[in-house]
Amino acid sequence: MHALSLLLSVFDWRSRAVLGRNFKVFLRNWKTAMLPPAMEPVVYFVAFGIGLATYVGGVPHEGRMVDYGSWVAPGMMAYTAFATPYYEALYSAYVRMFYQKTWDGILATQVEIRHLVWGEILWAGLRGVCNTLVVGIVLSGFAAAGMLSFDFAAIPAVLALAALAGFAFAAFALIFTAIVPAIDHMNYPVFLIGLPLSFVSHTYFPIESQSSVVEALMGLNPLYHLAETFRSLLLDGKLGSHFGAAVGSSFALLVLAYLASYALTRRRVVRDA
Amino acid sequence: MDAPLLVAEGLVKRFGEKRAVDGLGLRCERGSVLGLLGPNGAGKTTTLRMLYGFLEPDEGSIRLLGREFREHREALKREIGVCTQDDSLDYDFSVVQNLEVYASYFRPKVPDLGARIDELLELFGLREYRDASPSTLSGGYKRRLILARSIVHRPKLLFLDEPTTGLDPSARVALWRIVDRLRSEGLGIILTTHYMDEAERLADRLVVLSRGRTIAEGGTKEVIARFLGGNVLVVPGTAAARDAIDRELREAHGLRPHQILDDLHVPVTPELFAELAARHPDAGLSLRRPTLDDLFLRLDEEGGL
Repeated sequence: MHALSLLLSVFDWRSRAVLGRNFKVFLRNWKTAMLPPAMEPVVYFVAFGIGLATYVGGVPHEGRMVDYGSWVAPGMMAYTAFATPYYEALYSAYVRMFYQKTWDGILATQVEIRHLVWGEILWAGLRGVCNTLVVGIVLSGFAAAGMLSFDFAAIPAVLALAALAGFAFAAFALIFTAIVPAIDHMNYPVFLIGLPLSFVSHTYFPIESQSSVVEALMGLNPLYHLAETFRSLLLDGKLGSHFGAAVGSSFALLVLAYLASYALTRRRVVRDA
Repeated sequence: MDAPLLVAEGLVKRFGEKRAVDGLGLRCERGSVLGLLGPNGAGKTTTLRMLYGFLEPDEGSIRLLGREFREHREALKREIGVCTQDDSLDYDFSVVQNLEVYASYFRPKVPDLGARIDELLELFGLREYRDASPSTLSGGYKRRLILARSIVHRPKLLFLDEPTTGLDPSARVALWRIVDRLRSEGLGIILTTHYMDEAERLADRLVVLSRGRTIAEGGTKEVIARFLGGNVLVVPGTAAARDAIDRELREAHGLRPHQILDDLHVPVTPELFAELAARHPDAGLSLRRPTLDDLFLRLDEEGGL
C-alpha cells in the first residue's frame, strides 16, 4: 500500500474506533490511572526542585539564569509527554497484542492493521497529553505556593506540542513492540533506548558537553527540543528557539516510525496468526 | 436462483518456496454450511484467512455477493463475521460491553444496536451473564460469546474456525443448535473443524483439502463414497487371526488398515468381506458404514492423496 495512504489512515473512522476502545477501558479505571502522574511530580519536585535546588543554584536558560526548580518543572512535563506514550505503546500495547489477543479480535472486523497501529499511537499519545496536564496542574500548585515560576496560560500550547511528540514517541515504541519476542525483552527498548534518550534531553539536568557526538544526539533528540520549548513557553511565554526543531523532529519521527511500526506489526501479526 | 454468496477461484498462497494453497476454488451459498476438511498442513486455515481478508492471495480471485473482494474490501468486510479459533474476547469489558465494542468496529453502524444485543443474549443463553466478565464464563459460554460477537453486525457470511475445539459434548451440541439456527435464517457459513462428527452433522457440502488443493467436494456421503466406498471392515483386536488378516490385506490386496486401539479398520468391497469372513469364521469380522473419521485417518496417514 502507498505510504501516503497508510499515513492518511489516521483520519479513518477505524483508527478512531481502536482509540475509542482504549478510551473506554481507561474510563473504567481512570482514578487509579491518574494516581502516578499526580503523585510523581510531587515526589520528584520535592526531591529535585526543592532538595537538589539548594545545591545547584541557577541554571542557564536562553541567555539568563533561572532557579533549578523553575528549570526542572517544564523538564518534568516534557519527560511525562515522552515516557507515558513510550511505555504505553511498549507494555500496554504488547499485552493487548500478545497476552489478551485483543488485536486478533479487532482484526477480524473491518479494522485493518494500519488502523490498529494508528489507533494505538493516538491512544498512547493522548494518554501522554492527559498525564502531562496532570503534572502541569500539580506543578502549578507549587507555583501558586511561590516555589517556582510557571506560566499556566502556556499550558494549551504545551499540550498541543505534547500531543504531536507523544504520537511520535508512541509510534517509535511500537517498532519494538512489534519485534520483541517476549515481554522480558522490553528491557532493551527501555534501558538501551528510552533511558539514553532521557539522559541527553535537558529534562532533569542540563548538559554542557564539549563532545560533538553528544551534541549531535541532542540535536536529533525530539525530547531535548521538546523540553527546551516547554521551558520557553512556561518560563518566558514564548515559543523559543527550539520550537521549529521540536515540531520538525517529532513530525519526522512520527512519519518514519509509523511506517516502520506498521510494516513490522503487519509482519508479526501475520506470522503469529 | 440466488447467486452464490462467495465464489473463490484459483487461490494461491505462497510462504517462501511452499505453496500453502495451490489453485483452490470453492463456493458457498446462502443458508448453507460449507465444511473445509483436511489434515494438518492441508491449507484450511490459510484458505479461511484469505477468504475473510486477513491474508492477501498471491493469485486468484474472491467474489463476495457478486463483487470483487480486493476492490470493495471495506464494504465487503462489513458483510463478513469471523469466529476465530483462539479466544480473542476483550477481557477489559463485560459480556454486553464486548458486544457493544465489537459493533463499533463496523460501518455502517449496526442499526438498533441495543435490541440486537438483547436478541443475541437471548439466542446464545447469555442474558444472565450480561454484566459479568468473560473471565467468569465457562469454556462453552465463552465460545457462545465469541460466536455472538462475530454476528453482532448481522453479516451475511460467517467463518467458523474450529468453533467447538476444547468444549465438552453438551457445549458442542448447544453450539451446533445455534449454528443450525443461523443457517436456517439464511446465513452462509464456512466451517473448519477437526471433529468429523461435527462436519457430518453441520456441513451441507464438504471441500476436502490436501496439500493446498481440493481433492474432493460434495455432500458428506458422496465424498466418503468416492474415497472409501460403502463399507469398512472391522477386525477385532482379540481375533487370533488378526495379524494374518492384516498381512493378507496389505500384501494380497494393497490395503492399509488403520489401527484404532487394537482393532483394524479398512474400507473393503462386500466381496472381499465375504471371502475373508468365510475363511476366518471365528475372527468376529464385521462391516460398518464408513465415516469422515475414516477419510480423515486415511488422508492423514497418506500425507494427502
